Amino acid sequence: MPAPGVLMGAEARGLRWYERRSRVATFAALSLLLGAGAAMGAEPKEWLERMNKALTTRNYVGVFTHVRGTRAETLRIIHRVRGRDVSERLLSLDGSGREFVREGDEITCYLPDKKTVLVERSAPDGPLLGALPAFDDGDSLVYEIRGGERQRLLGRTTRLVALHPRDEYRYGYRLWIDEQTSMPLKTQLCDKAGNVIEQILFSSIDLPERIPDSMFKPLVDASDYRWLRAERTLANNNASSALWEAMRLPPGFRMTTRSSQAMPGSKEPVAHLVFTDGVASVSVFVEPRKPDTQPAEGPARVGSSSAFSTVVDDHQVTAIGEVPPNTVQFIATQVKSTSKSSTTRGLGIAPQRPNK
Amino acid sequence: MSEERPSSERHGERDSQLSAMFDGELSGAECELLARRLARDESLRGQWSRYSLIGAAVRAERGVRLDDRVARKVLSAIAQEPSYGDLPAGEAAAARSAAADSVTSTARVNAYERWLRFARPVVGASIAAGVAAVSIMWLRTQDDTAPALLASEAAPVTESIVLEPEPASTALVLTAQADPEPISNGEPERYSTPAPSSQTSIAPPARFANYVVAHSEYSGPLTRRMALLGIVGADAQSDGADAPQAETAPQAERARPADARTGGADGR
Repeated sequence: MPAPGVLMGAEARGLRWYERRSRVATFAALSLLLGAGAAMGAEPKEWLERMNKALTTRNYVGVFTHVRGTRAETLRIIHRVRGRDVSERLLSLDGSGREFVREGDEITCYLPDKKTVLVERSAPDGPLLGALPAFDDGDSLVYEIRGGERQRLLGRTTRLVALHPRDEYRYGYRLWIDEQTSMPLKTQLCDKAGNVIEQILFSSIDLPERIPDSMFKPLVDASDYRWLRAERTLANNNASSALWEAMRLPPGFRMTTRSSQAMPGSKEPVAHLVFTDGVASVSVFVEPRKPDTQPAEGPARVGSSSAFSTVVDDHQVTAIGEVPPNTVQFIATQVKSTSKSSTTRGLGIAPQRPNK
Repeated sequence: MSEERPSSERHGERDSQLSAMFDGELSGAECELLARRLARDESLRGQWSRYSLIGAAVRAERGVRLDDRVARKVLSAIAQEPSYGDLPAGEAAAARSAAADSVTSTARVNAYERWLRFARPVVGASIAAGVAAVSIMWLRTQDDTAPALLASEAAPVTESIVLEPEPASTALVLTAQADPEPISNGEPERYSTPAPSSQTSIAPPARFANYVVAHSEYSGPLTRRMALLGIVGADAQSDGADAPQAETAPQAERARPADARTGGADGR
C-alpha cells in the first residue's frame, strides 16, 4: 500500500511543473514524432515537406556552389527567422558582388556593376513564412515523386528525393536532403529527360541559434549609387476596374495570388498574378506601357528563370518563373483584361482572389 | 479517504510526482515511493518513457548540450551496471563521481541512486528508450565540435554541418574557389544547358531584378533561391553587360531618370 500522504506533500509543486511542462510537451512530442519519422524512413513527400520547413523556419548560414553549364560560382546565404520576421542575405563571393538583402519587410538589391540599389517592400500577403506549400494529390498529377533512399554525400547521410516532371511545362528536381537537419545539401534542376540543367551544392552550413544583425550588412559601399525605391503609396491608388486573368493555363497550374505591386522607379502600380503547380511558380506582371519606351516582346532569361514579355491592350505583360521558356510564353500570351476599361490608363487590380 | 479520490486526480498526482522527480525536486523518500509505484503501474512507466523522450526532444530543440542532471545520472548508472540490481560499491562511487560535476547536493545524489535501485528492474526498457533519445542528441552535439564557418559572427552555433571536401581552415572556406565538378554519387550527371532561342534576349538587370524580387516573395522554399540567383549570380551580371539591347526591355530605366531618383537620393 503506498503512502499517499507523503506523495501529497509535493502535489502542488508537481502540478505547477506539470502545467508548465505540458505547454511544451505537445510541441516536443511533435518534434519527436517528426524526428522519429525521419529515423524510421519517411516517405519522399514527407522529406520534401521537412525540407521546406527547414528552409523556411531555421536559421542558417551556408556557402554553396552554383553550377550552370561550364560556369561555377560560389555564394553565401544567410537566413534568420525571428517569429514572423525573416531576414535573408544572398551574396556572390567571387562574381558580381551583387547582394540581395531582406530585413523585415524591406528588400534591397545591391547591383555594384550598375551602381544601382533597388529597394522594394515585401508583399504583405507573401507566403515567405506563413504558408508552407504542401504536396497534395494534385501535385502528383504533374510530378512523380520518387526516392527517399539513403545516400552518402559529402560525409553526411542524406535522402535522395526526385521530383520528376510528367510534362514539358516544368522542371524536375533531385534533392539530397540531410537526414539530420532536413537541409538540402545538393539540388539539381533537371529537364524532363533527366539532364541536369544546373545545380546547387553546399560546402558548409551552420545552423546558429542566433545570427547578429551585422551579418545582414552589405559588403559594398553604395552611398554614391543610384537608389530606386518602391513608393509605398502606389498600391492602393488604382481606380480603374481592369481585371487581368489568364484565359488558359498549362496543366497543373492554378492562380494563387492577385495583388498590386509597387516597383522601384515606377509611379504606376503593377498588377502581379502568381500561378503555381505546387512546386514551381510563375509571376505575371502587368503595367501600363510607357509611350516613350519601346515595348519588350519575346523570351528572355534571368539566371535560372525564364521570362516572356508581350503587349496586351497597351499594357506590358511579363511572365517570369523557374519553369521552361515555353511555360512562361504560354501563360503570358493567355493573359487578358476582362474589363473594357483596361484600355484607359492605369491599372485596376481586383482584390486578391485565389482561384484554384 | 484519499484512496477514494477520482482516478483522474490520482493520475494527475502521480504525473506531478514524476515531473518533480525529473526536475530533481523530489526527496529521497518520495523517490523510493514513486519507484515502488512505478513497479506496479504500467501507465506510469509509460509516462516515464514519455517524459524521458520529451525532455530529450526539448533539449535538442533548444540546442543545449547534454547536461541534464537526471539524464546524466541515469546514463552513468546504467552504463556501469552489468545487470539489474543494486550497484556494487565501486561502481556506485564511479557513478557518483561522474555526476558530481553537475550535482551539488550529496543527499540528492543518494536519493537518485536509491530511486534507481528500485526503478531499474521495471523501467529498463523505458530507460533504454530515453538513453537512445539522449544518445541521438549527443551525436548531434558532437558535430558541433568541428570548426564552424563564421563562428565568430554567428555564435552561438547550435549545429554546424561541416562537409568533407571543405578545407580545414575557415579562411580558406571563405575564399577558396569551389570545385566546379561536385562530388558524384555514382549517378550519371548529364549537363544540358537549354539551347538559347535565336530570338531570346537577355533580361535587363535592373528592371527584371524588380520582377525577380517580387516573384521570389511568392516562390516556394525550393525555387526561391533559384529565382534570386537570377539577380545575384554571375549569370545576371555578364548577361546584362553583354546585351546591348537589354535596356530596351521591358521598359528602360532611362525613361524616367528623374522619377527614378525620387525618394532614393538620401540613400538608405
